[in-house]
Amino acid sequence: MTDTEKFLEVRGLQKSFGSGDTRQDVLRGLDFTVAKGEFCVLLGPSGSGKSTLLNILGGIDSVDGGEIIIDGDKLADMDEKSLTRYRRKHLGYVFQMYNLIPNLNVKENIETGAYLSDDPLDIDELLKILGLFEHRYKLPNQLSGGQQQRVSIGRAIVKNPDILLCDEPTGALDYNTSKEILQLIEEVNQKYGNTIIMVTHNEAIKLMADHVIKLRDGRIRHDDRNTSKITAKELEW
Amino acid sequence: MDEQTIKRGKRPKNPLNRRIWKDLRRDWKRYLMIFAMLVVTIGFVSGMYVSNNSMLHSLDDGVTKFHREDGHFRLSGKADADTLKGIASGEMADVPAVFRERAYEEADTEVEDAVRDTVTGEVEQQVKDAIRTQVEAAVDAQLAQAAAMGVPVTDADRESAVEEAYQTALDENYDKARSEALEQAFDSDDYQGALSDAIKEAHAEIDKEIDEKYQELSDRFNLDEKFDPVPVTIYELFYKDRDETIPGKSGYKGGIRVYAPREEIDLYDILDGRAPETETEIIIDRMHADNASIQIGDTLTVGKVDYTVVGLASFVDYTTLYEKNTDTMFDALTFDVAMVTAEGFDRIHANTRANYAFTYDDPPADAYEEKEMSEHFLKAFITQTAISEKELEIEDYVPAYLNNAITFAPNDLGSDKAMGGVLLYVLIGVMAFIFAVTISTTLEQEASVIGTLRASGYTRGELLRYYMGTPLLVVLLAAVVGNILGYTVFKNVVVGMYYNSYSLPGYVTLWTPEAFIRTTIVPIVLMLVINFFVISSKLRLTPLQFLRHDLKKTRRKKAVRLPRFKFFGRFRLRVFLQNLPNYLMLFVGITFVMLLLSMAVGMPETLQFYQNRLPEMMFAEDQVILSDTEDEDGEPITTDTEGAERYAVTSLERQSDVYNEEISVYGVQPDSAYVTLDAAFFDTDDSEVYISQAYAEKFDVKAGDTIVLSEKYEHRDYTWKVYGIFDYSAGIAVFMDNAQFNRIFDKDEDYFSGYLSDVPITDIDEQYIAAEITSEDMTKLARQLDHSMGAYMLYFQYACMIVAAILLYLLTKIIIEKNERAISMVKILGYETGEIASLYLIPTALVVFFSEFLAMYLGYTLMSVFWKAMMMSLGGWFAFVMSPEGFVREFVLVFAAYLVISILDFLRIRRIPKVLALKNME
Repeated sequence: MTDTEKFLEVRGLQKSFGSGDTRQDVLRGLDFTVAKGEFCVLLGPSGSGKSTLLNILGGIDSVDGGEIIIDGDKLADMDEKSLTRYRRKHLGYVFQMYNLIPNLNVKENIETGAYLSDDPLDIDELLKILGLFEHRYKLPNQLSGGQQQRVSIGRAIVKNPDILLCDEPTGALDYNTSKEILQLIEEVNQKYGNTIIMVTHNEAIKLMADHVIKLRDGRIRHDDRNTSKITAKELEW
Repeated sequence: MDEQTIKRGKRPKNPLNRRIWKDLRRDWKRYLMIFAMLVVTIGFVSGMYVSNNSMLHSLDDGVTKFHREDGHFRLSGKADADTLKGIASGEMADVPAVFRERAYEEADTEVEDAVRDTVTGEVEQQVKDAIRTQVEAAVDAQLAQAAAMGVPVTDADRESAVEEAYQTALDENYDKARSEALEQAFDSDDYQGALSDAIKEAHAEIDKEIDEKYQELSDRFNLDEKFDPVPVTIYELFYKDRDETIPGKSGYKGGIRVYAPREEIDLYDILDGRAPETETEIIIDRMHADNASIQIGDTLTVGKVDYTVVGLASFVDYTTLYEKNTDTMFDALTFDVAMVTAEGFDRIHANTRANYAFTYDDPPADAYEEKEMSEHFLKAFITQTAISEKELEIEDYVPAYLNNAITFAPNDLGSDKAMGGVLLYVLIGVMAFIFAVTISTTLEQEASVIGTLRASGYTRGELLRYYMGTPLLVVLLAAVVGNILGYTVFKNVVVGMYYNSYSLPGYVTLWTPEAFIRTTIVPIVLMLVINFFVISSKLRLTPLQFLRHDLKKTRRKKAVRLPRFKFFGRFRLRVFLQNLPNYLMLFVGITFVMLLLSMAVGMPETLQFYQNRLPEMMFAEDQVILSDTEDEDGEPITTDTEGAERYAVTSLERQSDVYNEEISVYGVQPDSAYVTLDAAFFDTDDSEVYISQAYAEKFDVKAGDTIVLSEKYEHRDYTWKVYGIFDYSAGIAVFMDNAQFNRIFDKDEDYFSGYLSDVPITDIDEQYIAAEITSEDMTKLARQLDHSMGAYMLYFQYACMIVAAILLYLLTKIIIEKNERAISMVKILGYETGEIASLYLIPTALVVFFSEFLAMYLGYTLMSVFWKAMMMSLGGWFAFVMSPEGFVREFVLVFAAYLVISILDFLRIRRIPKVLALKNME
């Protein structure tokens, strides 16, 4: 495997909550790699540990065992400051809820992401890609859910992160809007070449991914590379 | 990936900084209230610092500019040049030597005269006896011859012949013989010896007496101490005290102290008009003129002489109008200070008071040295006056640093500054906590956003700076605006307040770094520190905790079990428990307001209470103190006034580091109708006394305790045991048996000072009356305090109500905001606004209601402590009083403020949209 193919490497990852009788193993030794620029989908039912895995990859949750190496850097070696710097430099986050700042307009919300990068993307161009250029001076509460999620994606992508972590980005959206968002993520992936790791419980989405990891009870059940992926537009569920 | 197609932009400025302004705009009502409150407080305190500083500077400048005295003294008569020269030397006179010399001179003559008289008498007798012996011998010889010749001679014949011959001999020889004999006698060693012995004896007696008396004086004034001379320059500063009346104002009668022209010492700042130029013109104190509504051009009657007021001034030695330095309080209402021309001075029919001001030739370097110099100078002054040929008596000696008329205003300006500062910091503290609570609530509401930002790579520091930005910006803006207002509007308000109490000279507004530091730097730092701790402790949570809304450090495992109330009751109790920290803050805020209200309501009440009650509190309505208890014929001065009884009174001091309290010591009749003391008390020995209720309250003294009082200008202490407490609240006093009084103070057995009576005593000639104390005198303190502060207290009450409203608005807003989603949810469930309001407003109303009671109690208790601390630095005593009506007023003011706010809260609840609960659900 080349370095590009081992851009993200997870080895023997373990995580549990609680202690003693109430101890619950959430991740029971995960091993996988993600290549640079890959669109990776983490699938699994509720409680399978996919969100926990995403949080650990995002450096906002700790591990009990195993290691994570991103572009040669071990996450375990980083103190809190370095983790913040790591997130600032390399990561973009998209959540199911958009978590926008209510009294900043669309453009300003995206600027909160741009501010974190020394070399951000051009905001106006991004706004056009996001289909939000006309809405750039609107406040979040003047937008639909889909539009708000676009803003949230814009905020995450504007700093052109190496990895874009998406936690159920379509979870609160209807079918059409979900498809629009998936198309957008696809477009972003293609245009900017970010590695995308998306948590979802929607099995259909795996069809558009380069790489599909299925989790159940904290273990990887399948780790497949998708050789016949389709576009987001073609997805149906 | 085609890098060419990716267009790069510029890194924008931190959008969170822009958000600070947006936050301010979004929540403008909250910030405007906080801003307004801070502006008013900072402005007022800044104004206070600026005006105080400018005033104090002008008072300081006045010391040299207006050539202020370093002290003054008053003698019983005009001093001769030698005495003044002696006093000015600042050296102690050798009192025993001078007295001894004078006494010896007098005694020598007297002794010599006495010895000479005795010797002369003896010599004369001897001469006469010798002549008689010679005459008798001659007559007997002649009669023997006659008998021998048969002439019968009777005893009677012999007697008559002897007498005749003796008279003839005396006439012929006596004078010569007497002068020869006297010459011989006076020349004799015996005579010289006797004279010398007698003189020696007299000198010994004089020495003994002088030594004893001087020792007493020396002990009293510690005259043994050796010190460098304290040379001074002495200036005549004569004045006359008279009644002041204003033609056309029949109800007004006051006292006026008119000075001869002041040209060298204790000059004045003319605030309006000019100095007098003719004998009918007068310049008076500006403060008193304001109080008595006297204007330039008005006529003023001094005794019976009219003057035209041509100027209003501030005299450098009377910035506070104290008539006597021992007065409990200044009196700008009925006491006036004035100056006329020399001819104008002669027109006043009153004794000229031989008052002299002095300045030290070598000015003291500091307060400590000033005190020491004044004590040394006093010794020089006492001894130099004692040896004065004119037998002058000292009536008064007041060094400037102890002169209330000079020091009271600057001291008060200083203490006001301290109090204003404390008030500001408490308010800033409360505001900072309100901010902190508000921001805590915001942090909870924005937990997801914070979690996302933290997850995206925002550091804690960046978020901390952002969340601290708003409070700092508000306090910074408030400080800028407050300081501008402080230097302009509020400065004038504060200056007006001081000009309403004190006779201050003109001033120049000064840039005051202290005002800047205390009203800008300190509030910002206070806001910074409090917010830093509160916000940074919240931000210590992990991004994940924020994303999960897991914000409590200690999460309650189980809900508190509630009693089986009805559903609404339990719901309200849950609201209460959930908002406990906010309700605690609400309680602190209400307590703060109640403390201010206790002052605003309690102070005028207390003053009014004493003004109304003092006349009935006095044990006798008329107390006459006589200047002499015997009239010109040596007869005791009596009165036929019914019920009048004799009493004795003197003043002692209760000395302490804070304030030397003047205590009246009364000696009363055992069967007194005015001061009824326990009969058994009169059987105790002289070591036990009664004290007044006011004494007991002010100094926490109980029956059985020991008190120590001292003579003012002497080192003599009196230690007494308190037998009981006499119910007298109008003055700090000690009571004892008149006979006991006379024994303790070495008075004659039948000594008394005057009469007590409930009906005015009118049959004693005014010339024998030294002072008359009526209820008018007793209410002086209360009246002046009422005038100086009382007027502002009503405004202050309403200001407190506004402060209460703002605090309640801010805190209840937080509570509702915290529950917005829940309120929205119960709306969805179908509850009506009225029901929801009852769920969320009633717990708050109940908290306000009960907090008010506790806060009133705390406010009253704290105020009583502050009040006592204030009274400890003032003469006299009255306890802090708050009537039930006062408490009701306090309660109503705050509750009324709450009712207004609860209407706003109701509207706020009504405006919460149902969709909110759904929108924010995660």
